Amino acid sequence: MPADLDTLAREQLAKVLRDGPAPAAIDPARDLVEAYGLTSLNKVLFLTSLCKAADIGLDRFTEDDLVRMHTLGDVVDALRTNARK
Amino acid sequence: MTESVLNRVVADRPAHAGTLTVAGLGGSRTMPLAEFHGRARAVANALRRKGVGAGSRIGVLAGNSLEWTLLDLAALMLKAQTAGFEPGKFTAGAELIDRYDLDLLYCDTAATDAMTGEAPSGVRPITEISSYASEPPGTLDPVAYAPTDCTTVKFTSGSTGVPKGLEATVGSIDSSLLAVQRIFDHRPGDNLLVFLPLSLLQQRYWLYSALRWGHDLTITTYQSVFAVLPAVRPTVVMGVPGFFDAAKRHIEGSAGEGLGPAEAAAELFGDRIRYLWTGSAPADPAVLRFFTGAGLPIFEGYGLNETCITTKNHPGAHREGSVGKPLPGKEIVIDDEGVVCVRSEHPVNTAYTYAAPGDSARIFQPGGVVRTGDLGRLDEDGFLYILGRADDVIVLDNGKKVIVRPIEARFRATGAVTDCVVFCPNQTDLVAVVVPGPAGAAAIAEAVETVNATGEPDERVARVVVADEPFTVGNGLSTAQFKPLRNRIRDRYRDRLADPKEGIHAGRPRHPGPRAAREGAA
Repeated sequence: MPADLDTLAREQLAKVLRDGPAPAAIDPARDLVEAYGLTSLNKVLFLTSLCKAADIGLDRFTEDDLVRMHTLGDVVDALRTNARK
Repeated sequence: MTESVLNRVVADRPAHAGTLTVAGLGGSRTMPLAEFHGRARAVANALRRKGVGAGSRIGVLAGNSLEWTLLDLAALMLKAQTAGFEPGKFTAGAELIDRYDLDLLYCDTAATDAMTGEAPSGVRPITEISSYASEPPGTLDPVAYAPTDCTTVKFTSGSTGVPKGLEATVGSIDSSLLAVQRIFDHRPGDNLLVFLPLSLLQQRYWLYSALRWGHDLTITTYQSVFAVLPAVRPTVVMGVPGFFDAAKRHIEGSAGEGLGPAEAAAELFGDRIRYLWTGSAPADPAVLRFFTGAGLPIFEGYGLNETCITTKNHPGAHREGSVGKPLPGKEIVIDDEGVVCVRSEHPVNTAYTYAAPGDSARIFQPGGVVRTGDLGRLDEDGFLYILGRADDVIVLDNGKKVIVRPIEARFRATGAVTDCVVFCPNQTDLVAVVVPGPAGAAAIAEAVETVNATGEPDERVARVVVADEPFTVGNGLSTAQFKPLRNRIRDRYRDRLADPKEGIHAGRPRHPGPRAAREGAA
């Protein structure tokens, strides 16, 4: 797992979003759907890309985990937790 | 039609090696379809002991799962009907049971009666099916379906907001399965991937197809589909335009990191794709060209709940911009008003079972004909082109007709909005309700100028109302196939649509818009 998972998550999210905002401008506390228009399909695409980039197995997550990921902060926390398992 | 696929699927335990995989984030399970058939028989016997039989109706309000498929085949084995309810669109409870005459309702979420705090009578957890499936299969009395028998109730948006219920005939299901098999030749070695809700009858077609023709089938959910694809390596993906649009943007992003489009597409979809299936809503031509260019042929088709699959492009007959030629057993006639009418040798039905007065008469005509409400044309070789919904045509007060779908597509193509629906609240100016992209209002103001610069004078969007939230199944503004529900969006934003001061206003027209044209004509 890379040391700076937060930066990696911002970079991967920026790629998924239309018009690709600057990674540093993404607020990790804002709702991914309401603030960034992330659809369910794009959410799993984002998680797929992020897990690949962070070398964390996607198979560690369930659909319930995905539902609980409301913000970028939630995503990073979930990845950190699973990376330690 | 020489054989009944459904009769064969119900009667014959598969002798082939086809498998069913149910996959999601967190794991997958694969079983031979022969074993699946035996487990469905066990479920059927358990249901029979609970009093389910010919003439019973079982509702299913649950996400995609192995239990859903077992219940579906078990009901067919008993000649009981199913009624598939889209999760998020219906609420489990006594009201649903009463409204649609259900004997049982299987759910994957807990349902409690507001008065008693207990599960309403007839509502059962779908997990119950798993325990039935592990019992010995036992034997069942054989059943035989006639072409006019109905196996299931499917639901479609109603004019009153209450979904209309339409019973589907065996003849229509058999006819569609045989026609699709003729043009795509699904066979052992193929793996068809389904992620749209199994409550949609067409998604269950691929289970019947796998049981009959021996290909593999993978069922997942839309939440998991992109995680599942590369591991499953399907040969066919049954999708809708919104799904392929999301995939395209992801592939383009990956391609920018040193992968070619074909490699990036294979990384996402797996390396065995034979073709991609899209339908249910008009596909963006750019998306279709993108996938074909990346080595993943994609075929668009056309059909409504009331007509089943009507036309389909396929490897043997494909024309860009069209939705294909009619399938065997279907005939297309364009009426005097330009509306597509479909005559079926085996109609889905001749009326809704549950609908508001007048709903059936508006669409079902004598002779197995359905007047779709879509505007279309046939070319000289019989390929059908959909020009828009009759409902989507705005007649301006200058008498000119504007088809809004191309305008909406241009707005989405700017990237400033993720969704767009255009209305004409005062018969003069077009007003769009849009779901903004991440760049916000500034990008929308710029985008509307782009849209107007590329459109005809009558297509000018004068004003844009920014939606409060995305159009979703949950808020009732989208179907599960990602189609915005135009009338509900109009109802939600009626006041803002009507208020000329509301929203983002387009700049002065460089050419006369609808209002100016009207005034000029006067």
